[in-house]
Amino acid sequence: MAKIKLDIFRFDEAVDEVPHRDVVEVDIPETTTVLDALEEAKAQVDGSISFRRSCRSAICGSCSMNINGVTGLACKTPCNTVMDKDGAIQIDPMPNFQPMRDLVVHMDPFWDKYTRLKPYLQPADKDEAHERERRVSPEDMKKLVDVANCIMCATCYALCPVVSVDPAFAGPAAIAYAYRFIEDVRDGQRPERIAQINEDYLWLCAHCYACSYCPKHVDPHWRIVDVKRATINDRVMMNERGPRHALIVNKTIRQTGMLAETEVIQGTVGRFNIRGLLKVLPLGLRMISKGKMPPPFVKPIPKVDEVRTIFESLEVPVS
Amino acid sequence: MSTTLLPEEQPKNLHRRSHSSETKRYGFFPGCVAKESCKELFNSTMLLADKLGIELIELTAASCCGASVVNDTNRDIARVLNARTYAQAEALGLDDVITICSTCTGHMRAANKELLDSEERLNHANSILGKFGAKYSGNVMVRHLLWLLIDDIGLDNLREMVVRPLNGLKVAPFYGCHIIRPESVNGWESARNPHSLEDVIEALGGEAVDYAGKTRCCGFHIQLEKDGVAASMVGQNMRMAKDKGAEAVITPCPLCHLALDGYQQDAAARWGRTDLPTFHLPQLVAYALGVPAEKLGLNHHLIDPRPIMVDRDLIA
Repeated sequence: MAKIKLDIFRFDEAVDEVPHRDVVEVDIPETTTVLDALEEAKAQVDGSISFRRSCRSAICGSCSMNINGVTGLACKTPCNTVMDKDGAIQIDPMPNFQPMRDLVVHMDPFWDKYTRLKPYLQPADKDEAHERERRVSPEDMKKLVDVANCIMCATCYALCPVVSVDPAFAGPAAIAYAYRFIEDVRDGQRPERIAQINEDYLWLCAHCYACSYCPKHVDPHWRIVDVKRATINDRVMMNERGPRHALIVNKTIRQTGMLAETEVIQGTVGRFNIRGLLKVLPLGLRMISKGKMPPPFVKPIPKVDEVRTIFESLEVPVS
Repeated sequence: MSTTLLPEEQPKNLHRRSHSSETKRYGFFPGCVAKESCKELFNSTMLLADKLGIELIELTAASCCGASVVNDTNRDIARVLNARTYAQAEALGLDDVITICSTCTGHMRAANKELLDSEERLNHANSILGKFGAKYSGNVMVRHLLWLLIDDIGLDNLREMVVRPLNGLKVAPFYGCHIIRPESVNGWESARNPHSLEDVIEALGGEAVDYAGKTRCCGFHIQLEKDGVAASMVGQNMRMAKDKGAEAVITPCPLCHLALDGYQQDAAARWGRTDLPTFHLPQLVAYALGVPAEKLGLNHHLIDPRPIMVDRDLIA
C-alpha cells in the first residue's frame, strides 16, 4: 500500500468564479490506476469529486484527463508511473475544452465536429428492401481496422496544438473518422465527404504528431495524410492552399532536388494573389532587412536527373 | 531485469550509436533551409565542427528529405529520395548521416526505418536507384548533431571544452516535433519529457528553463495555410517560456527558428510581447567553445540576440 496524494483541479461552473485545487490522500496499492485512486478518493474522502468513467478498461473512452500535464486515459495509467517521490499526482481536466465540473468538461465542440461528418454509411444505391448484403473484401476492410479502434476519448483533440489556438480546425479524431468513410467501399459520398473535411480545415494539421500519443494506437496523423492524398488523387478543391502547397513542394524538389523556399511561398499563396502576397510581405521585408531572404532561384543539385528518375518511376504508387 | 544478455546477444540498438573512439568522419546532410534562408546555421555548424575536431563531409548531391509534405501526394517518394541520399553516404564509406534540422531528422529516420523494416521496400527502392547505378545496403543511421554532441563528444568533454560559459543565461529549449515524435521513429529519448537540450544548455554554463511549450509545435508547416494560426502557436509557446523567466530560446531546428524568430512580433496582439531571441543549437555551442560571436551570423536574426548577450557579459 502507498499513500497517494491526488492534487485535483476543482471547479463547478454553476457556483465558482475561479477554480481551486484540493489535495486528497488515499491509501491504495501504487500499482492501481489513477482512475482507481480517484474512485477511492470519491468513495472514502470527498463524494463531490466529479469525473467521467464507465468501463475502467480503455474501451469506453470516458476518463481522458490531464495527469501531470500529460493527457491520457486515467484507467490506463498506473499511479506508480506518474507519481513523484512523495506520491503526489496532479490531475486536471483535458485541455482544449471548457471545464464543467472538476474533471468533467463540455465535450460539445468535439461531438459537433464528429456529427458534421455524417458518421454513418451512405451507400450510393439505397436498397431500401434490404435485398442484398453489402460485402467488403478483407483487403478493403484492412484499411479501416485501425480507425475502427478509435474510442472517441478525445485525447488527440485535447493534445492538438492547432485546436488550442484555432477551434475551427476539425481535429485529429474527426479527420480519422472522415477517412473511415472516405475509404469505405460501400459508401457513396466520397467526393462530398472529402470536400466537407477540406472545409473543416483538413490542411491545418501542423504535422506535429502530438496525436501519436493515442491510447488506442489509431495514430490519426497517418489517416490525415491519407485524406490529403485522397483530396489530391480525386482532384477535389485543388485551388486551395493545402493542395497547392503539396504540389509546389513536389514540383520544386523534382526540378531542383531542393525545396525552393521562394517558389513554394509564391506557389502556395498564388502568384497572382496580390492580397495574399501582401500579407506575407511584411515578414519578407523584415527578413530582407536582415539579409535572410532565401534565393529567388535554387540551383539544381548535382545529378538532379536521378531525382527526376525517382519521381517518374513512382508515378504509380506501389502498395 | 531478470535476464542478462551477453554482449553478443544484445539486440542492435536502432536508435542510438556512438562513434567516439573509432572515427571522427561523418556524412553531413544540411537540409534545404540551412542552405537557403538560414545560412547562419550552416556556417556556424561548420565552425563548430572545427572546434569539436570532427569532419562533416557534406553530401552535396543529396536531395530534400521530403519535409513531411511529399507524403501528401505519394507515400513512396520520400523513402526512395532518402535511400538515394543514404546510398551516397555509403559510397563515400560513411555510415552516419548527421542532420541539423528536426524535420530532416524525423523524416529521414522514418524513411530509413521503413527501408530497414522491410526487405521488399528496400528492394523496391534499390530497383529504382539501380536505374542510375546506385544501391543502398541499409547501413546508415541518421542522427541529429544534438545526439552526436551527447553520444560521441560526451557532456563531460563538452563541459571541459567550454572556454566562454554562458554565465547563467536563462535559455528555454525548443525541440521541434520531428526530433522527438513519433517516438517509434526517433526514440533517442522520451518524447514526453526529453532533456538533451537542457543537458547541453547546462554543460555550456547556462540555466535551462523548464516550460510546457518545449515539446510543442511551432506551426511552421501551416504558416501559409491560414493567417495567424502559426503565429499564435509561436506566441502561445513563447508566452509560456517568458513567464518561466526565459531570456533566450535554443532550437535544433531551422524551421522552428524561422517560425519563432519571425512570428513573435505578429503574435504580440494575442499573447503579449515576448521578443525572445532564438539561437540555432550550433550557434550557442560554438560561441561557448570559443568561436568569435561575429562569425555566427547573429546579425541575421530578426530578434537580435546580441543585447541579451551584452547584458550577460557574454559579448562587449
